[in-house]
Amino acid sequence: MAEIPFPLPDLGEGLIEATVLEWLVGEGDQVERNQPLVEVETTKSALELPSPQSGKVLKLHGAPGDVIKVGEPLIVFEVPDDTAGIVGTVPSEEAPKRRVRLSANLDDD
Amino acid sequence: MGRHAGSPVHHTVEGTDPGLNVQTHEPESPAPLPPVLLIHGFASSVALNWEQSGWIPALLDAGRRVIAVDLPGHGLSAAPEDVDSYSPSRIRADLLQIAFDEGARPLDPARPESGLDVIGYSLGSRLAWEFGATQPALVRRLVLGGPSSRDPLAEFDLAAAQRFLADGTPIDDESTANLVAMALASPNSDMYALLSLVEAIKEEPFDAAEAVPQQPILIVAGEKDERAAGLEALHSLVPSAQLMLIPGRNHVNAVTARAFKQAAIEFLS
Repeated sequence: MAEIPFPLPDLGEGLIEATVLEWLVGEGDQVERNQPLVEVETTKSALELPSPQSGKVLKLHGAPGDVIKVGEPLIVFEVPDDTAGIVGTVPSEEAPKRRVRLSANLDDD
Repeated sequence: MGRHAGSPVHHTVEGTDPGLNVQTHEPESPAPLPPVLLIHGFASSVALNWEQSGWIPALLDAGRRVIAVDLPGHGLSAAPEDVDSYSPSRIRADLLQIAFDEGARPLDPARPESGLDVIGYSLGSRLAWEFGATQPALVRRLVLGGPSSRDPLAEFDLAAAQRFLADGTPIDDESTANLVAMALASPNSDMYALLSLVEAIKEEPFDAAEAVPQQPILIVAGEKDERAAGLEALHSLVPSAQLMLIPGRNHVNAVTARAFKQAAIEFLS
């Protein structure tokens, strides 16, 4: 078995930290990819973080009310050795998040 | 997950295109239930209020078809210059057209997928309340999150906000100062569009007693939501409504609460 830590991801908008509101999984739980892991709150909004991978939850960092900085450990997963090496190199199944951009059509004026 | 921005069918309401961003999400295993319309709050958006907060995945997992709309001047919707585009009555007319274009049909006892369930948060709850009251033939059930019986936006000191934005003059009124701070903190918010919305709301302030929805209603708020003080006044108008307070949560962070989502999904099933 291998341990894979998952740090608090960059939440954009120049945010540097988030406060844990509530854990939605517990240590020892088997979680699936995209399963909601935790609710956190930033200075701008509250959000739910989905799991980046499947695996067994080994350790949770931070109790409700604790502040975690971006890049600091949030959760540690335990995965079988044969999958540990390739995590992070497998292409994501998900299409990139769609961004809609409105562009002016100058010919229409 | 089926998803698109903008409706394939394009209708104008009262002759102008509101340019609202519409997202529909299709569940993998659809339940025999009506679609769910999501209406976000002031200075929020579909992305903040419903996507990042985990509502859309939770509703899809429950087999619900989701219709989510960015209010004018919010999210990916257009920010028209005329104040009329932001009036609550105009927004309700646009939402009705969007719901119809996205396949919602009047309630028919023989068809379990007919009708429309509506979930609103904050300002979205006010719009949902009025939408339910004025569309009894379409709306089946309502979930009102973080609602107010008074209208904090109607009491907004617009002149003070404009002075603050122009030269930094401090805002005396606490509620106005809080709303401006919230709007400034909101990513990519268009402050001038938000002030147009406030201006339009001041012309049509919320009067909950004026039209009371007859549908089954679930009211949810954070226990520490300072606006929830008016919940009793709202509840007295709809005594049969279910009331749920989420321990330890406030107006901002009640949105993500698992207990809120679970209660709403159960109530709408």
